[in-house]
Amino acid sequence: MAQDIQLRLRSIRKSFDGQNGRIDVLKGVDFDVYERDFVSIIGPSGCGKSTVFNIVAGLLAPDDGDIIYRHERVSNLRGRVGYMMQRDLLFPWRTVLENIMLGPEMQRLPKAEARDNAMEYLNTFGLAGVENAYPKMLSGGMRQRVALIRTLLTDPDILLLDEPFSALDYQTRLYLEGVLVDAVETFNKTVILVTHDIDEAVALSKRVVVLGGKPSQVKSVHQIDLGSRSPVGARSDPHFSEYFHTLCGELDIQTKVKQ
Amino acid sequence: MSRATALSRSRARSMNPRRTRHGLINTSLGRGLIQLVSVAAVLALWQVGVEMGWVSAFMVGAPRQILKVLVDGIVSGSLLVDTYYTVVEAVLGFVIGTALGSFAGLALWYSPLVARLTEPFLIAINSVPKIAFGPIVILWFGTGLVSKVALAVSLTAIVALIAAYQAAKTADRDLQALLLTLGADKNQVFFNLVVPSSLPAIIATFHINIGFGLVGAVVGEFISSERGLGHLIFTASGLYDLNTVWAGLFMLMLIGFLLYFVIDFIERRLLPWKEAATANAFHV
Repeated sequence: MAQDIQLRLRSIRKSFDGQNGRIDVLKGVDFDVYERDFVSIIGPSGCGKSTVFNIVAGLLAPDDGDIIYRHERVSNLRGRVGYMMQRDLLFPWRTVLENIMLGPEMQRLPKAEARDNAMEYLNTFGLAGVENAYPKMLSGGMRQRVALIRTLLTDPDILLLDEPFSALDYQTRLYLEGVLVDAVETFNKTVILVTHDIDEAVALSKRVVVLGGKPSQVKSVHQIDLGSRSPVGARSDPHFSEYFHTLCGELDIQTKVKQ
Repeated sequence: MSRATALSRSRARSMNPRRTRHGLINTSLGRGLIQLVSVAAVLALWQVGVEMGWVSAFMVGAPRQILKVLVDGIVSGSLLVDTYYTVVEAVLGFVIGTALGSFAGLALWYSPLVARLTEPFLIAINSVPKIAFGPIVILWFGTGLVSKVALAVSLTAIVALIAAYQAAKTADRDLQALLLTLGADKNQVFFNLVVPSSLPAIIATFHINIGFGLVGAVVGEFISSERGLGHLIFTASGLYDLNTVWAGLFMLMLIGFLLYFVIDFIERRLLPWKEAATANAFHV
């Protein structure tokens, strides 16, 4: 099945000033993201996952290379992406509702409509009744749900997630992975997930991009075909551990006892 | 300072009386009683010491005479007039200086270049004891109200400026990133992140600056003035009238005390999210 390419990264290079001169982080990163794709980027720590992420988000400019969005060269994707990190990034002085309304507020959209939308999301995500609470009154899982609603409310073309659930306990995490997958399916979103967690990458993704080398390049891209894409269902799929071991092998992690 | 009172307030509120060792004493009534008795004891000891001749009333004054000066001053109104002038000078100096300093400090966020250029000058100005400007300020602004306000402004503005700039500079980078990806421009980042996240630090300077406002007013009055508590204290001490000096000091303390609580009230109104309950409150 031929799929339309939504986002294309071509020969992205980036280096930073280090203590001993320039340090090359990315040496020509290439990969494609399809429409309605769910791509995870994995790689050893320090490989520049977050650099790729910040370049796509428009927070860093690449030194060289092209970002092609729906056949058009763009300098960055600011305003088209939703951004979620390990930290919930809720503003402590804003109530839950005011936090969710940040996107429409920054884009100066009509308030009443955005507010109705926000309330609908709060109901769907089981957060009705806490809209006037401050973030510090909520649990970690609730806060991350608020952050997800804030991201969805701006109706971005691409969701950029940087280890959004890695600070949560496993139970909450499985639950939120389910919420995320449902939301992505319902609203037809494309997702780019940066993670160090191979388990999560396999369970959620349609494709996994492995970064490696110093400076980093795309080492390989893996298609993931599991029967179920619910967090628990995917993990129980007979092929799950195959993918898991293959990707661990890509990252040089020993997973099998030698016989 | 503010943190300490906030802490003690939240502790007093949430303490379970049955589980504390000082159950009966540690109520607001019990604490107030202890504080009142301590003050009364010190004053009584002082009075007795003077009457028994242990200390010289001429050099230290005496509580009963101080009270008489206070009552006479209030009845005749002269003490209230002096107090009024000092309060007006201090509060004006505090408001103008803190506002100017805070705005300037926040505005430096807009331009790292300007901030870097001005930084050494700010440090230089800050390292001069502002009181030393006193004589010049009197020369420039005369012996009236304006010179005292100007002195108070010079003391408070730099404190507010440095605090506001430091707070603005350290505004959370991740939150800035988030706002940018949501499509915010620089002004939106400023008003939605930099200002609110700097507010606690700015308000913390209010407590320091209200004191500096009083310092500016009183020192200005010491140097040259016709009215005010500083003027009262200065002239009375020249006449070895220690009781009047103490009465003036007492009024200053009273002003500082009341203004502190006004600031505390403002702080709680401006930062409701800091007061919000959290599920993770604990006692040390």
